[in-house]
Amino acid sequence: MLIKVPVSWLREYVDITIPIDELALKLHMSSTEVKGIERPWWDDKIRTARVEKLAKHPNADKLQLATVDYGAGAPKTVVTGATNLTEGAIVPYADEGATIIDGHTGERATLRGKPMRGIKSEGMVLSRKELGLGDEHEGIYLLDAKLPVGALLREVLGETILALELQPNRPDCLGVVGIAREVAALLGTSLREPPLERLGAGAPKNLDVRIEDDSACPRFAAALLTGIRIGPSPEWMQARLVAAGMRPIDSVVDITNYVMLELGQPLHAYDHRKLRGSVLVARQARRGESLRTLDGIDRVLPEGTLVIADAERALGVAGILGGEDSEIREDTTTVALECASFEPRGIGRTATKLGLHGSSGSAAARRFSWELSPELVPIALARACRLLREHAGAKVEGVVDRYPNPRPRVNVRMRFSDVPRVMGIDIDPAETLDILRRLQFTAAADGDTLVATPPIVRTDIAIAEDIVEEVGRIAGYERLPTRIPDGPLPLAERHPLEEFRERARDGLAGFGLQEIVSYSLIDPAWLKQLTADGSCIAPEPLRVVNPTTVSQSAARPTLRASLLDTARRNLRHRASVAIFEIAPIYLPRRADLPEERWTIGILLAGNAQPVKDGETWLTPERPFDVRDLQGIVAGLEDLLDVRISGDRRDTPGLHPGRSIAFARSERTYLLVGQLDPRVAETWELPAETFIAEIDLAVWQESSRSPRVAAPPRFPAALRDVAVVVDEATPYGDLEREIRAAGGKDLESVALLDVYRGQQTGAGKKSFAVRLTFRSASGTLGEADVERLLKRIAGRLQHALGATIRD
Amino acid sequence: MAGDLKELADRAVADILAAADEAAVEAARVKYLGRKGALSEATKGIAKLAAAEKPAYGAALNEAKGRIESALDERGAALRAKVLERDLGAEREDMTLPPRRVRVGRLHPITQTVREVSRIFGSLGFETVEGPEIEWDYYNFEALNIPAGHPAREKWDTLWISNPLGDDPSRPILGRTHTSPMQVRVMEKRKPPIRVVVPGRCYRYEATDAIHESILFQYEGLAIDEKLTMADLKGTLYAFARQVFGSDRKIRFRVDYFPFTEPSAEIAFDCFACEGRDPACRVCGGDGWIEAAGCGMVHPDVLRRVGYDPARYQGFAFGGGIERLAMLRTGAPDIRLFYQNDLRYLEQF
Repeated sequence: MLIKVPVSWLREYVDITIPIDELALKLHMSSTEVKGIERPWWDDKIRTARVEKLAKHPNADKLQLATVDYGAGAPKTVVTGATNLTEGAIVPYADEGATIIDGHTGERATLRGKPMRGIKSEGMVLSRKELGLGDEHEGIYLLDAKLPVGALLREVLGETILALELQPNRPDCLGVVGIAREVAALLGTSLREPPLERLGAGAPKNLDVRIEDDSACPRFAAALLTGIRIGPSPEWMQARLVAAGMRPIDSVVDITNYVMLELGQPLHAYDHRKLRGSVLVARQARRGESLRTLDGIDRVLPEGTLVIADAERALGVAGILGGEDSEIREDTTTVALECASFEPRGIGRTATKLGLHGSSGSAAARRFSWELSPELVPIALARACRLLREHAGAKVEGVVDRYPNPRPRVNVRMRFSDVPRVMGIDIDPAETLDILRRLQFTAAADGDTLVATPPIVRTDIAIAEDIVEEVGRIAGYERLPTRIPDGPLPLAERHPLEEFRERARDGLAGFGLQEIVSYSLIDPAWLKQLTADGSCIAPEPLRVVNPTTVSQSAARPTLRASLLDTARRNLRHRASVAIFEIAPIYLPRRADLPEERWTIGILLAGNAQPVKDGETWLTPERPFDVRDLQGIVAGLEDLLDVRISGDRRDTPGLHPGRSIAFARSERTYLLVGQLDPRVAETWELPAETFIAEIDLAVWQESSRSPRVAAPPRFPAALRDVAVVVDEATPYGDLEREIRAAGGKDLESVALLDVYRGQQTGAGKKSFAVRLTFRSASGTLGEADVERLLKRIAGRLQHALGATIRD
Repeated sequence: MAGDLKELADRAVADILAAADEAAVEAARVKYLGRKGALSEATKGIAKLAAAEKPAYGAALNEAKGRIESALDERGAALRAKVLERDLGAEREDMTLPPRRVRVGRLHPITQTVREVSRIFGSLGFETVEGPEIEWDYYNFEALNIPAGHPAREKWDTLWISNPLGDDPSRPILGRTHTSPMQVRVMEKRKPPIRVVVPGRCYRYEATDAIHESILFQYEGLAIDEKLTMADLKGTLYAFARQVFGSDRKIRFRVDYFPFTEPSAEIAFDCFACEGRDPACRVCGGDGWIEAAGCGMVHPDVLRRVGYDPARYQGFAFGGGIERLAMLRTGAPDIRLFYQNDLRYLEQF
C-alpha cells in the first residue's frame, strides 16, 4: 500500500540527522520502499504578501482590487473575485511568470498578467487549489498572520513528502509514528510518542459496546464525547491531510483520519443521536440484512459479514464502510467514537465480496485487512480524544474497552548464532542486541540464547527467522558477502519429454520455420470457427472466471486458432508465412487439474518461393503445397527418430481429401493437411493454408534412440520397376507391401514417377519406383535380386492386385 | 657420343621451353621422344658401341630422356595453367546478385531467454524442471503461507479457472500467478540437496501496458541444503547477473517481503545502459538500478509443510520475469510485442 508521509510530521516524532535523500535511501534499503520524494515546487515568484488596501473594481461589482506588499519592490495591485480578503491579511502571492496550478485545467501553468474588465492584474493572490494544496478555489488561502511578508512560500509552507510503498507484513508502518520508529532504529536516534488524552477508568453512562463474535472482532473500544463543535479542522491539520492525500471534511472526520495516518489505526465516529439503545455491537449480519452505506449504495450484506450495529440494526460494515444514517452531520454534538480490532482475513474476504478490496477499498478497509495490533486500540482512542478536546471542543465522558481474550506477548527464543547461520554475515551478539534495542525490542541474553520480545505494534514477528531479518536489515544487506553454494551437486537430468521438445524446436527452426509464442488464453468464439459447420475439434475448454477480456477467457484446447490468427495478421503485410508453436494445450479432467498436453503446431501459407518477397530472379513464385508441409513433418520424424504408425483418424477442420491423421490408443498424435478452404475463408486466409499438429508425448514414445551401424561394406543392386495399380490404391500401401516382401535386404524404396495414360489403361495408374537392395553379409548376385523381385511381385499381385510392368 | 646426347637434350629442352602452345609441346614430344624421334635414333647407336662403353652411353641416354620428359611436363603444365587462367578470367558471375536463399527460422525471444536462464543456472548446478500452468490454489497460495484473505494476495491478482467438467469450491484452480508453486511440488517429490530452476508461463489479472502482461513467463530458483545462507543466494544471483549482463555488474540487495521467504530481498543490478549516470535513462528510469528478482530464504513453515525439518535443512528461492530479462538484453521496447508475433519483429531476434 502506498502512503504519503510529510517530513514535517515525521520530524515531530523523531530527529532526522541526515539529509532527506540519504534517509530515503536508508528506508528503501531496509524494507520501506521509497517510491518518490515530492518536494515543494513553488518557485521564487511565490511569496507571502500582506493585503494593504482593498478597493472596488470600477467596472465590475463582483471583483475587487487588492494592493499587496510582497516584500520585493513596489506593492502590486491585483484583481480578485474572492470575498474573504481583509486588509492586513497574510496571503500567498504569485508574481507574473510564476508557475501555479491553473484553476480550470488542474495542470501547472505559467501565470500571465492579463486585464480583467479593463484593469490589468499585476499578479495573483492564490487559493489552495492554485498551490496544489486541495480543491478549494473560492476563497484566497489566508495564511498565519504571524508569517513575515515577502518570505518564499516554499520555505515557510513547503512540505517534502515521502511516498512509501508498504508491504502487508508491516501494519506497524501504516502510520507516521511507525515510520518514525523505523527512522529512529536506522539513525540510532530516539522516538517521541504522540501526546495522548489521559482516560479515566470510568465507563460512560450512555454508551456501551458488545462483542458477539470475538474471533472476528477481538477488541472493541469506544469513547463518548459531548459538546462537539463541527467545523473546519485547524489549518495545519488540513495541510497535513492534503499532503498525505486525504480530503479535509470537518473537524471530527479530519481528526479520525489524522489519527489513522499517524498511528495506522482507523476509527469511526457515529452521531450518538442515531444509536438506538446507546450501544455498539460487533456481530454477524443477519440473513437478508441490508444497509445504505456512506457511498449512498443500498447493500444487502452477505451472510457472515461482520457489522457494527446498535440495539436494532446494522450501522456499518465493520472496518470497511460506515452507514449513511449514523454519519456525523453539521449539527452533531455528541459522538460515539469507535476504535476496534478486526480479524484481517475476514475483512479481506468481506471487502472482496463487496468489491471493495485492494485499491478500490476504503483507507480503513485496506488497513484493517492487515494485521494491526489490538494494542493500538486504546492508544489511538486516547490520541483522538485528545485532539477532539483540543480542536473540536469535545468533553470526554468516558471510554469503554472490551478485549475478552488479550493476546499473549510474543517471545521469540533463539540462538545468537541463528543470525550468521541464516544471513551468512558475521554479526556478533553485542550488535544483535544493539539493533534489537534500537528497534524497541526487549532482548534478554543468556549465553548463546536470546529471548526477544517485539514492541507491541509489531505483529509480524513470530519466529527466529523474523528476528534474523530484523537484525540483518538494520545491519544492512550491503554487508552480505557473496558465496557460491558448495556441497554435493544434485543430479541434474532434464525430463525426457522436455529434452525431446527442445530438439523439435531446434529442428523446426532449422527447417526455416519461425517460432511464435502466442497467448494461451483465447477467445472461446474462435473454437467454433475451426470447422465449416461450427462443430468443435477440441473438448469444451476451461474458462477464466474473471477474464480481463473476452479474447483471453478460455484456456486453449488446441493451438490451431492461435496459428490461424497469427498467419492472418502477418499475411496482411507479407506473401509468405511459415511458423510453428510448441506449447501445452489444456484438456479438462474431472476433479483434477487439466492435462497440459505439449503440442507442436505448424502452419504454412502463401509463397514457398521465393523466400524473400519479390525476389524471383532465380526462383519463380510458387505457393506452398501440402508436400512442403509433409516434407517438414517427415524431416522432423527423421531428426527425432520417430516412426509413424497406428490407426487412421478423421481430420475435422481440414480438407477431407488433402489431409491425414494417425492415432494411437484413441489419441490423435499426428495430423497433417490442408485447412478446409471454407475455414480458411472465415479466417481471411488463402484457400491453400496448411496445418500440422503433433502430440509431443506420443512422438517421444515412438522415438527409438538411434542404433548405429558402420557404413555398408558391400555394393548395392538397383532396380527400377513400374507397378500398375488401381487408381484408388494409395502409394503408402504399395510401399508398405514392397517393404514387407523385400525384407531386410531391401534397403530403400524411392518413388521415381507416377504415370497415368494409355499404357496403364483406364482406372489404373503406374508407380515407377527404384528399389535398392543390399545385404549386410555379402554382395547380392543377379539371382538373389531376381528372387527378391519375384517375391515382391508376388506379394503386390496378391495384396493389391498390382502388376509389374516391364 | 655421350656429349652428343647432352647436346641433343639441351637442344630439345630449349625447343620445348619455347613452345607457344600445347600443340607445339606435343610436336616436340614426337620430334624427340617419338618412335622415329631423335632419341630413338640415338638409342639405335648403342649397338655399335664397344661393350665397355655401353653402360656409360645407356646412362647418358636415360639422363637425356629424363630431362626431355620433365621439360615436356613442365612446359605442358605451364601452358595448361595459362589457358585455365584465361578461361577462368572469362567466366564471370556478378557475385553481388542475390543468392538462392534458404529459409531461416528463429526461436522466439522468450524461448531464447528461457534457454539462457536454464543454461546459466545449469552451469551453477541447477536442474531445469517444469510444472503445471493451471494450478491448485493450494500450491499457488496456501502452501506458500498465503491463505485466503491474506493481504499479500493483492500482489498476485489472480485469474480463476473453471473446469467444464465441474468445479469443487473447496479446491479452487487458477492460472498460476508465479512459478513459486513448483518450490512446493519439487520439495514434495525430492529430498535435499535440491537445486532447480523452473521457467514457465504465469497469469495475472492485470491491465496490460508496455511493461505488464497478464500472460507472462517467469523463472523460479530453489536451492535446499544444510548450510545455505543469504550469502549463497547473493553469490548465485550475482553469478547469474554477470553472465547475463557482463562481468562488471554490481548487485544490490534490499529488504523486501514475500510471505514464503524469511528473510526476503529484492535484487537489483546496476544499470548496464547508463551505469547510474543518466537521470533520464530509459532502461533504469534514472535511479541507476534495475530490479530483477525477488528472493529470500525459504520460510520454515513452507519447509515444515513439505515434511522437511527446518532445524536441519535451509535454503533459498528466487524468482524473476523472463520478458524483463529479454527486454533488458535486447532493448525490446514493449512487452506486448512478444505475443503479437509480427514476424517482422520476431525476425530481428
